[in-house]
Amino acid sequence: MSKEIKISAQGVDVFYGDTHAIKNVDLEIENKAVTAFIGPSGCGKSTFLRCINRMNDTIDICRVTGDILLEGQDIYAKSVDPVQLRARVGMVFQKPNPFPKSIYDNVAYGPTIHGLAKNKAELDEIVEQSLRRAAIWDEVKDRLHQPGTGLSGGQQQRLCIGRAIATAPEVLLMDEPCSALDPIATAQVEELIDDLRQNYTVVIVTHSMQQAARVSQKTAFFHLGNVVEYGDTNKIFTNPEDSRTESYITGRIG
Amino acid sequence: MMDQEHIASAFDRDLEGVLALIMQMGGLVETAISDAARALEMRDTELADQVRRNDKLIDALEEQVASEVARVIAVRAPTAGDLRTVLSVLKISGNLERMGDYAKNLGKRTSVLSEMPAITGTGGALRRMTQLVNVMLKDALDAYIQRDVDLAEDVRQRDSEVDQMYNALFREFLTHMMEDPRNITACMHLHFIAKNVERMGDHVTSICEQVVYLVTGDMPDEDREKQDRTSTDSALGKV
Repeated sequence: MSKEIKISAQGVDVFYGDTHAIKNVDLEIENKAVTAFIGPSGCGKSTFLRCINRMNDTIDICRVTGDILLEGQDIYAKSVDPVQLRARVGMVFQKPNPFPKSIYDNVAYGPTIHGLAKNKAELDEIVEQSLRRAAIWDEVKDRLHQPGTGLSGGQQQRLCIGRAIATAPEVLLMDEPCSALDPIATAQVEELIDDLRQNYTVVIVTHSMQQAARVSQKTAFFHLGNVVEYGDTNKIFTNPEDSRTESYITGRIG
Repeated sequence: MMDQEHIASAFDRDLEGVLALIMQMGGLVETAISDAARALEMRDTELADQVRRNDKLIDALEEQVASEVARVIAVRAPTAGDLRTVLSVLKISGNLERMGDYAKNLGKRTSVLSEMPAITGTGGALRRMTQLVNVMLKDALDAYIQRDVDLAEDVRQRDSEVDQMYNALFREFLTHMMEDPRNITACMHLHFIAKNVERMGDHVTSICEQVVYLVTGDMPDEDREKQDRTSTDSALGKV
């Protein structure tokens, strides 16, 4: 059964000045599934992730060539507003980074600037829905007007996920979302990621092989700027095709 | 790529450790089979008793393999080739343990048989069959350690010879029993022995399948031709 493709990358190269960070990558990311990018540090997985919502635009020396299509539309086309794109393609970072504002305002900020709510009642509704989907509503509903920075690390990260989904994105990019979290908070975020794929296409960069194996349906192994192997997560972790993938996931020198 | 070492060298030591246990088990099972066959042929009840006693060592090793594998899975979370290594170790230790049980059973029956008049003519065939299985076991374990799929495949094919030898013995025991009902008790024991040796061959085959799985990640797909017809072919009973 072939699944619907949400994001299609074709011949993508990325340069940082003279450094060739991503080399002619083709990748098709399935709709409403979790895709994991794994690979050693410096392999290009985060760079590639950041291409998907044009976060690399903010780096002067960074140059992206090739095509990245979101539902068939080139996201690097002149007509595309990166800010609008980032509302469709949300992002969660390694370190929880709530705004120094209340829990409520953290979530309400995106919908407000994108004009997604007509009135206070609608905004309240979006905030509650987002926090529920981020599996943190019950923990914060009685202190929505306290600062987001006062939450624990795991709660802050779930707040950031709630903030990311408040703009009703189609795609969620996660760059090592659990690396600053303890095992319990990690399990909660992983459980959340598994729920999120009902409604979103999730792409996650992780250094934890076990996390990739647990949460994703598809895995891409990046090495020296190339996608060495891309396929079903079950296959990658039980019987990968490429010896470099095997070396990496089994913890051998690759 | 499996020749490459893990960054965590303790992981390599863990895997080498369980493989060494399997080889130790394999050695004990090979000895048990050849001793049991010799005890049967020479009516050596002392050797037969020794085979029965030594089975405890094989059982203990199987338990050791199981607990070691559980520890490796818990601590190392093995993937890909490493995962297939620990899974195959677990299965093969089960195969070897069963083979040890069959050898032990051979020893038990030898003690009974040595009290009875010998059945002429079947000893040589049983010995050849047991030897064949023992060589298959040795080759299967070599194939496992060397990750040699061709050798494993070759051993798998050899199992049909064992099946054919069992068919021939089955017929021969029937003949003896029909000729003289006083042979029935001894022939029943001998038949169980032949059947047990035939089952040992099946366990060797299963070890070979684990070799293929370990190396390729897939179980061998096509079914081997089964030569044991005694359970389906009623004509075999007509002498």
